[in-house]
Amino acid sequence: MVMTDGRTGRRLDPDRVASPAPGADDGGEGDPSASPDVLARVGAIALTGLDGAAVGAEAAVGGGLPQIKIVGLPDATVREAADRIRLACQRSGFDLPDTKVVVNLAPAGLRKEGSGFDLPVALAVLVASRQLAPAAVRGVVARGELGLDGRLRGTPGTLPAATAAQRHDPDTVFVVAEEVADEAALVTGLEVVGVSSVRHAVEVLAGRVPRPPTPRPPDPVRRVVPDLADVRGQSLARRGLEIAAAGGHHVLMMGPPGCGKSMLARRLPGILPELTPAEALEVAAIASIVGGRADDLSVTPPFRDPHHATSTAGLIGGGTGVARPGELSRAHCGVLFLDEVLETPRSTLDALREPLEQGRIVLVRSRSRVTYPARVQLVAAANPCPCGHAGSTTRPCRCRPDQVQRYRSRLSGPLLDRIDLHLELQPVTEDVLVGPSDGEPTATVAARVAAARHRAAERWPSDPAAAEARLTRDVPARVVRATVSRVTQARLARAVESLGWSARTFDRCLRVARTIADLDEVDRVVDEHVDEAVAYRLDTEGRA
Amino acid sequence: MSRGSGPPGRGDGEDHATNDRDPWEAVAALGTDPAMLAAVVRRAAVDRPGLAAHWRRLVADEVAMAVAVRELAAAPVLEVGPGDGQARTWRREGVVVALAGDPGMPDRLVRHGVAPPWLALRGPIEASVGPAVAIVGARRATGYGTGVAAWLAEEAAQAGVRVVSGGAVGIDAAAHTAALGRAGGTTVVLGCGHDVAYPRPHAREGGLFARVLDAGGAVLSEGLPGDPPRAHRVRARNRLVAALADAIVVVEGGARSGSLVTAGWGADLGIPVLAVPGDVRAPGSAASHQLLREGAAVCTGPPDLLAVVLEAAQDGRDLDHRGGVDDPAGLGTSGLPGWLHDRLVAAWPRPVPVARLVEEGGSGSGPVLAALTRAQVAGTVTRDVDGVRLCRRPPDA
Repeated sequence: MVMTDGRTGRRLDPDRVASPAPGADDGGEGDPSASPDVLARVGAIALTGLDGAAVGAEAAVGGGLPQIKIVGLPDATVREAADRIRLACQRSGFDLPDTKVVVNLAPAGLRKEGSGFDLPVALAVLVASRQLAPAAVRGVVARGELGLDGRLRGTPGTLPAATAAQRHDPDTVFVVAEEVADEAALVTGLEVVGVSSVRHAVEVLAGRVPRPPTPRPPDPVRRVVPDLADVRGQSLARRGLEIAAAGGHHVLMMGPPGCGKSMLARRLPGILPELTPAEALEVAAIASIVGGRADDLSVTPPFRDPHHATSTAGLIGGGTGVARPGELSRAHCGVLFLDEVLETPRSTLDALREPLEQGRIVLVRSRSRVTYPARVQLVAAANPCPCGHAGSTTRPCRCRPDQVQRYRSRLSGPLLDRIDLHLELQPVTEDVLVGPSDGEPTATVAARVAAARHRAAERWPSDPAAAEARLTRDVPARVVRATVSRVTQARLARAVESLGWSARTFDRCLRVARTIADLDEVDRVVDEHVDEAVAYRLDTEGRA
Repeated sequence: MSRGSGPPGRGDGEDHATNDRDPWEAVAALGTDPAMLAAVVRRAAVDRPGLAAHWRRLVADEVAMAVAVRELAAAPVLEVGPGDGQARTWRREGVVVALAGDPGMPDRLVRHGVAPPWLALRGPIEASVGPAVAIVGARRATGYGTGVAAWLAEEAAQAGVRVVSGGAVGIDAAAHTAALGRAGGTTVVLGCGHDVAYPRPHAREGGLFARVLDAGGAVLSEGLPGDPPRAHRVRARNRLVAALADAIVVVEGGARSGSLVTAGWGADLGIPVLAVPGDVRAPGSAASHQLLREGAAVCTGPPDLLAVVLEAAQDGRDLDHRGGVDDPAGLGTSGLPGWLHDRLVAAWPRPVPVARLVEEGGSGSGPVLAALTRAQVAGTVTRDVDGVRLCRRPPDA
């Protein structure tokens, strides 16, 4: 650990403090108001991932050379706040004491990160130096970064911080930069005060200017998702996506380059049900800590398509100190599209395995442990062979048989084993391409998906484990089995066995069959559903 | 390459006597030629030291042996007698045991001098007479390899030639499957004991072996009950595959493929060896090309193969084209909707991508996919990443 004294270069500090003359030189000529009897306390939020902890910024003016010293496990950004605050306050017309001001961020054992502590620390210093009444900051939680001119800027994580502030105390007054006040206002019932500068904040809190009302939260918006009607042909893929959307099943699309894999994947969010308000808030909170600002509240499920060269940390989240969310969590409640999945290193894919099952990712670092939600629908796409044209009826494949074999053998990984639907695509033929647009529009499909999900949602709550899972994809196998007749199960068992598949495959097929029945608007899973479900499986188990 | 009849001992010191003695006692109780029994003991001793000691005690009683040999005359094929559960299981599954000299021991094996001391078989005893061809190759086969194997096996079996292979996945399985229900029939030679489920998908209920038996084929093994499919045993098995055939064709295999062992035995025993040329860039075709370099005949289709087999078939039996009349699935019917069937017939032997079939189906993907699954489960179509094709050549293609 670096000595903080060393950083400020005030090596003489200890000598000064130990100076035998009490009340002599340095304290004597100071402002009488700087007497060390006022202990200021302003609320702040320390974010660890999406979780916020209430922190008090305590300031006291004491003897020593003029300096603002911040203690309580601050990181570099928080320590630098001292310089920003000094200048911002001076330029805003405040007088800082000519002695040492110590700011303690309590509890001192918790790590504090980020520039959002500037405002609470500055307010605490001003209270300690008697330029603001202690009563004015009672119940206040402040957050924001100060510019050298005293202006206040928004910081990442406003939404999760506001959520934490309200959870800590429902009567909190949350003071943030004007530019992010509407984001904080997404937390219903929280009083949000948007201010433009540290001067503005003091004037408002002291009651010298009227307190701005809590802003109106941004309205939920729908993002534009390309329409399914744009896709020509591809009946198999359309049907597959519809089933996937209805049951939340993960999908693998395999087909030559240009056959429309990513075109189809991009249209999946459109047929998924819109996010519930709670889900939309979760998605916005993640966007807030990653992107700095959740500018709108989208009810359209997110769509993330990281490049296949994305690192494991980039995908699942990572970083030193407190790990940040990756693409996986940014796709929470939406679609994670992995194009060229066979080019992605096996280790990276394997890292997705656990979060996909659990619906969340736990990132543990030496000093922190954060959990990010990661309930995503995975859509993976791959070429059928290294050159991409195996099985194509239009172009010859130039790969050697063993190359194709090795390439495809990567499909049998544990991650891909968890994908329920395998779709083999073909490029559309010319006459379909130039013919009339024949596809159903997104709205029609979305309506069927919503109806199927509704059916499923009404069935599962009978079992607590299933009710929690919500999607047919996540419902325990035994619960799914209980809804299918023995005769039909026996039929599936025979099919699975004669194709040489494993028992795990049995349950995956049964789940898909369950979803197909839901789409068919019947409660009974019949042979036809089971037979269709079996057809959505490529042989990846290394059979003859 | 070592081709001795006995594989090297494992010497694992594990005593199998308590588990396995009863089937052996049953054999002993029925009795047989002392020299033969000595051979069985030798064979058993290699794998199971504890069992061997048990056996020596039994065989040491010369008088009992003499009685046993007389009784043997009345029981040409030994059925594993009553005894422990294992023997009962064998009996239930119709496993019969032939020792050397028994009519149940295929004459070809004796003639070639490679007969094992003991041969356990399921299916008809007479399955080893008549013209036969061994179609062998790698487990790790390409679509090309399995396609050619199926093609050769189909035409050979159609012409009344028995298809012999090792029952492994890949080329072997393709050959056996294609011969099912056709006049020639098929014979599987296992590399492990009958009661060992290997390869698992073939040994399970309704798997390849069961279908072979249902169709009147035979499954043979020189393994003792419980013998696992160890490499040396599987290689030794290949000599039986070779000796049971009038010609051997290697369809596909890597440089170290076991099919080279089979071909090597063929060369030693004077059985003609053919090889199917493959992709010259593919390591999976190395075995075929090596054999071609060494003088194997080129096999570019069923006529090449049949010509060799007919010449080599020693009994000179007139091979008739009886046709696969006993194929319940039918050659012309796949159980698919008419248009779908016609589409696959038109494409045969090329596969048709599933997406294309669905596209052409017009009215919804579900029914087409469900129909394909049914046909696949019924075994009339096969499906891989490249698409769907009929398992059998349609009569009008």
